[in-house]
Amino acid sequence: MLASEKLAIAAHLHVLLRRKTGRVTDTQWMADNAEYATEIVRFVRQSAAQDGHEELLPWADKLEQAVLPAAAARSKETLQMVPSSMPTLRSLLASNTVQAGESGVDSARYVRGLR
Amino acid sequence: MWHALCVQTLGWTSRKNTMHRIGSKSLMACTLFLSTSVWSQVTAALTRPGLVAQDSINGADTAWMMTSTALVLLMTLPGIALFYGGMVRKKNVLNTMAGVVAAAALVSLLWFAVGYSIAFTPGNGLIGGDTRLWFSGLDYIKDAGKVAVSHVAPNVPESVYAMFQLTFAIITAALIVGAVVERLRFSALLWFVGLWSVLVYAPIAHWVWEPGGWLAQRGVLDFAGGAVVHINAGISGLVCAYMVGPRKGYGRESFEPFNLGLTMAGAGLLWVGWFGFNAGSAVAADGRAGLAMAVTHIAASAGAVTWMLGEWIVRGRPSLLGLCSGLVAGLVAITPAAGFVTPASALLIGAVAGVACYWGATGLKRLLNADDSLDVFGVHGIGGIVGALMTGLLASKTVSGVQGDVVVQLMGVGAVVVYSAVMSAAVLWFTNLMVGLRVDDGAEVTGLDIAQHREHMGT
Repeated sequence: MLASEKLAIAAHLHVLLRRKTGRVTDTQWMADNAEYATEIVRFVRQSAAQDGHEELLPWADKLEQAVLPAAAARSKETLQMVPSSMPTLRSLLASNTVQAGESGVDSARYVRGLR
Repeated sequence: MWHALCVQTLGWTSRKNTMHRIGSKSLMACTLFLSTSVWSQVTAALTRPGLVAQDSINGADTAWMMTSTALVLLMTLPGIALFYGGMVRKKNVLNTMAGVVAAAALVSLLWFAVGYSIAFTPGNGLIGGDTRLWFSGLDYIKDAGKVAVSHVAPNVPESVYAMFQLTFAIITAALIVGAVVERLRFSALLWFVGLWSVLVYAPIAHWVWEPGGWLAQRGVLDFAGGAVVHINAGISGLVCAYMVGPRKGYGRESFEPFNLGLTMAGAGLLWVGWFGFNAGSAVAADGRAGLAMAVTHIAASAGAVTWMLGEWIVRGRPSLLGLCSGLVAGLVAITPAAGFVTPASALLIGAVAGVACYWGATGLKRLLNADDSLDVFGVHGIGGIVGALMTGLLASKTVSGVQGDVVVQLMGVGAVVVYSAVMSAAVLWFTNLMVGLRVDDGAEVTGLDIAQHREHMGT
């Protein structure tokens, strides 16, 4: 994954965490440092469990996959045990719309490009 | 009088790609047929600009060309200025607009002094002659009843044709501004645009549009400037983006566009103005111009729809900027094809361009890793290449009398890409020697409106 893509995920999570939990994070460090990213992922999952911020969970997964591929692979193995079906165009659109709705206009929208 | 006959017998009209349309056999036949002294004079008049009787001018064609000239100028002023101005940060809007206006003025003077002559008079395959420097010879002699015409456009006054072509030179230079906004010195922009217009744009226009140009001789089809304008500007923009370097904070900070409403207004002006760009390139008010107008509109619509769908699927939401970018992508791609294809082909060209340019401005942009700030390469470069190649694939003999050839088109694309890239790099290198390229970090943070012009947008 490109560094810019990692940074975009980190920036997105930074905004969501500040908005939902009040926690201020270091975006660049989150994208660069595996240890810091691990702690953020842990914190996000804890917040989701304790405070009900479940909308943060997909972004924790994305960060894990981007910055901590080994940990993400373990999570993936667990997920593969659950039967899944191919996504339809409609479900793809719906899931993307949900993600877009969650983010709204945020600081990551125009990082590295307008389109 | 004679060229009306020649037009009817050989299909030798004032359209671009004239040499290709005639073909070598027809040229030989013409040479034999015109072997008497009278017809030799006629031939001389056909192969270079010269004076003709005023009554040989076609009033309808002239009126349409004057209208088209105004439409194409409207694409830059204020079309491109608004389109680009809306996409940059608030602190750089005036600098971006000033760059477009200055480019228009500077290119106009250089076109008058040098550009038109070296682009549109006979010379050799690479460069035109010096007979029209400073617009010399663009005469209108009332008492003698004579007016100058170009051999490329014998039905309209040469003054009108030179002005029409000037608006193309202006918009091509103005397009490059989008690749280097928010960090290039204003003086560097002037140096670059001035030199680029003479050393890069004018020679390529000669290659493709003057009947003696080497690409025209080889049958490259470019009705209204897919290669000359869009590939050229796109490649040059990409080279500039690499050489000038990214904006401070690029890749880490979000660069909020000032006002996408302005961008939409600019895109609307581009769409309308493009009727002059493409239908005007027929250099006549005729059926081919009408078809060019129709295919232009269809391709723009298809580009807007496919970009919108692509964005909807990938990002979950269709954006206004996506719609505006998509319509421009469709317009860019139909530009080389406008006088050669059917409406159905235009639909295909526009649809492909919408998707291709969406990728160009997103996925490819990440791969290239250049801060091509407003996606000049992603939209104009990619759209131009798509259009040029699809022209080779879809050009209809019924519409234009010529058969497209993808290999020939590819050669044309390659030649323009290489020349534009190398010469743009050389011109930018020279500009750097003269005045330096970038503003300092402090000025970039403050914004170029204040730093370069001591002006600001207000509240």
